[in-house]
Amino acid sequence: MNPTSSPPDETTARREARLEHDMELLVGYILLAGVLVSIAFLFIGLVWQYVLTGSLHLNYLIAGMNYFDFLLHDLRALFHPAGWDPRVFIDLGIASLLFTPYIRVVSSMVFFATAERNWKYTAFTAFVGAVLTYSLFLR
Amino acid sequence: MSITSPGILFVVSIVAGFIGAMSGMGGGIVLIPALTLFGVGIKHAIAISIVSVIATSSGAASAYVRDGVTNLKVGMFLEMFTILGAIVGATVTLASSDQPLFIAFGAVLLLSWGTLFVRKLKHADYLKPADPVTRWLELRGGYFDHAENQQIDYEGQRGWLGGPCMFGAGFIAGLLGIGAGALKVLILDLAMGLPPKVSTTTSNLIIGVTALAGTSIYIAAGYVDPGLAAPVIIGVVAGAFIGTRLLKRLSNQSIRQFFLVVLLLLGLEMILRGFGVFGHGV
Repeated sequence: MNPTSSPPDETTARREARLEHDMELLVGYILLAGVLVSIAFLFIGLVWQYVLTGSLHLNYLIAGMNYFDFLLHDLRALFHPAGWDPRVFIDLGIASLLFTPYIRVVSSMVFFATAERNWKYTAFTAFVGAVLTYSLFLR
Repeated sequence: MSITSPGILFVVSIVAGFIGAMSGMGGGIVLIPALTLFGVGIKHAIAISIVSVIATSSGAASAYVRDGVTNLKVGMFLEMFTILGAIVGATVTLASSDQPLFIAFGAVLLLSWGTLFVRKLKHADYLKPADPVTRWLELRGGYFDHAENQQIDYEGQRGWLGGPCMFGAGFIAGLLGIGAGALKVLILDLAMGLPPKVSTTTSNLIIGVTALAGTSIYIAAGYVDPGLAAPVIIGVVAGAFIGTRLLKRLSNQSIRQFFLVVLLLLGLEMILRGFGVFGHGV
């Protein structure tokens, strides 16, 4: 589905309604996919932890790194199956959960810029994206 | 930091997620008092709660958004204000001692309840022409209400007032690790004149990004415990999923009544704890 290709005889109102619907699907499915992926990782991690130790207790803190370090660290761990343990999956669950609203904002910005060509809302979402990017780089 | 049982934590989180989705408040308002009762320090509880609020919000919002009830532009405009508020709020929490946080939590609950209680139920004219600023912001929309079986179109009002008010709601969210949905709904409803369902669902969308902004501060400060957050997140999402299914079948009136009862009970609970009548207190 290419949201930018509009039929030539389409009225402005219909175009607006169609774009709004496309955006709803985009945002809705990003949020759904993000939560499902996150829950799947967390679930695997917790079940594994329970099978290994007979307990769900697993206390540690994310310290000394910013979110993007944490995300990269987790992704690297994902691609090295030899080092997999419950923590890898729980960390991936947390990282993907945090990534969900972030990617929702970024893709909304791209949608406003390319499909809707709405400069106002491109700027609004770009501002939100920039502030979030900055704060996620804090450590 | 000790937790009696992650199993109990999981069950508490299901209830918190359910109430959060039903009321549009996010699960934190139930979760934080519960976590502190189980011996988690309030700042750690706030940090775990705000991560779980991302999950509640995103899970519920994914359904609301695809249903076409959420107003995305209203949400994305107001997020500019809530994220700044959340960053400032979380920073204040890190610098604060525990006692003011307990008091602030109780106060916010009571304030939310009090404001909703004095509020009159009115059938507003949702199509009143908006001021030029709000028109420029494109804060209008429409949705099909399945409970009332009719199309509801509306014009948002006073965007210039809603924005700065949302900074305050974001501040509370970051400060206390809650969605602060009650305040957001109130602003959307009273300042911006949106229909109740649009307010609740749009608040839900804003909560996720706001919670992410707050979370970023708590992560940087090393307050997020993934092992504790994991069962809480799964529980909260399960509760929110059930709540969302139920919400779709209810009319605006029943949402409001449910809202009032939940806030009243939680407010009373916090007052009692504030006075040391039960629970660990401060």
